[in-house]
Amino acid sequence: MDWFGAELDGPLVAVRTVHFAASAVTAGVVIFGAAVLMPASRTAPQVLAVAPRLRLVVWLALLVSVASGLAWFILQAAAMSGLSVGEAMSPGTLWTVLDETQFGQVMLARSLCVLVLAACLCLGGGAGLRRLRLAAALGLVGAIAWTGHAGATAGTEGVVHLLADVLHLWAAAAWTGGLLALVLLLLALRLAPDRAPVRIAAVRRFSTLGLASVATLIVSGAVHCWILVGSLQLMLVTGYGRLLTAKLVLFAAMLALAAANRVWLTPHLATMAADRSATILTCSAMLELLLAAAVFALVGALGTQHPAAHFLI
Amino acid sequence: MRRSLSIAVALALLLVASQAHAHAELDHAEPRVGNKVATPPREVTLWFTQKIEPAFSRMTVTNAAGERVDSGKARISGSQMSVSLRGGAAGTYRVNWHVLSVDTHTTDGNFTFQVGE
Repeated sequence: MDWFGAELDGPLVAVRTVHFAASAVTAGVVIFGAAVLMPASRTAPQVLAVAPRLRLVVWLALLVSVASGLAWFILQAAAMSGLSVGEAMSPGTLWTVLDETQFGQVMLARSLCVLVLAACLCLGGGAGLRRLRLAAALGLVGAIAWTGHAGATAGTEGVVHLLADVLHLWAAAAWTGGLLALVLLLLALRLAPDRAPVRIAAVRRFSTLGLASVATLIVSGAVHCWILVGSLQLMLVTGYGRLLTAKLVLFAAMLALAAANRVWLTPHLATMAADRSATILTCSAMLELLLAAAVFALVGALGTQHPAAHFLI
Repeated sequence: MRRSLSIAVALALLLVASQAHAHAELDHAEPRVGNKVATPPREVTLWFTQKIEPAFSRMTVTNAAGERVDSGKARISGSQMSVSLRGGAAGTYRVNWHVLSVDTHTTDGNFTFQVGE
């Protein structure tokens, strides 16, 4: 398989893509619950009507995340040991990867996050449990940073790289998972009475979350580019650089849609054309989600590539 | 928002080349790559640009006749890997290495050094 001149391991890229997207949706919907739904419900309790549906989405995304995480672990064990997938599935090899490598330890820690998150989802919603649920969801996504290039960068630069990647992962989850939750909320409110003020309360809060996420993505992404690419030339001549360029183009398209939603559609939610604006907003958010899916595919590929900066050596 | 994005992207793209190495490459070795030493060394040590995984990293040393002269098990700590040598004659020694970096990337390589006056 070949994308933008980069040789890719198809199955590994596929399971990583599914895993990153499912983990982002899991965490993003939980973040949406904490940052948008709960605060908005104080002035507009009708938004809570979507809560059971969001819970179902978190459960489904968590299941997909676990299944794809297992597949990733097995394929990665094969790549690490140099064995075929069939041979790598022996208890000895899998145990060595789990017990003795950083990748295995991180996956183990993330499995604990899954268990805590699942327990919180089962037990329901006190304030303490909601905080624990948020912490577990952030842990599930943030720990991915240690499986990749950031987990191996040395010294102070390594700490900066890890911090940037953790923030990048959280912001990406908040934006994409939050967007999915917003679409579900807007669809649930479609025929509700007094829907206009409820929609405005939710969309404004999501808008703030989205803006914070985008700012974080830009700053942390710039740090990542600086460490792993280093120059404009490498951005265009290496497979890694070209994949990253494609990702930036998709990101810019998502941003243009988000800006249109914020600047043009959100103010219309309070006017006579509120329902029509809400429909356009929903469609635009769905389009953003499609672009996000393509971004996840590129992220799935990027981590399997030798970073561009390597070619400076 | 779009303006701030374009500024950030331009910033990211125009930054000068950084010195970061994003997976384990050979930084230096003792005996040095391609160098000549008077007597056979007791061990060969490699330093990599990143921490490596002991479970999936290995190295071998062979003499001019292609026979293994290393003791077998390499010792690995952080980004450093050493193996003891069993001694041997003058000639060209070849070091083959294969390492897994903690970021899950594998790299390999080889180099030679000379033993003798």
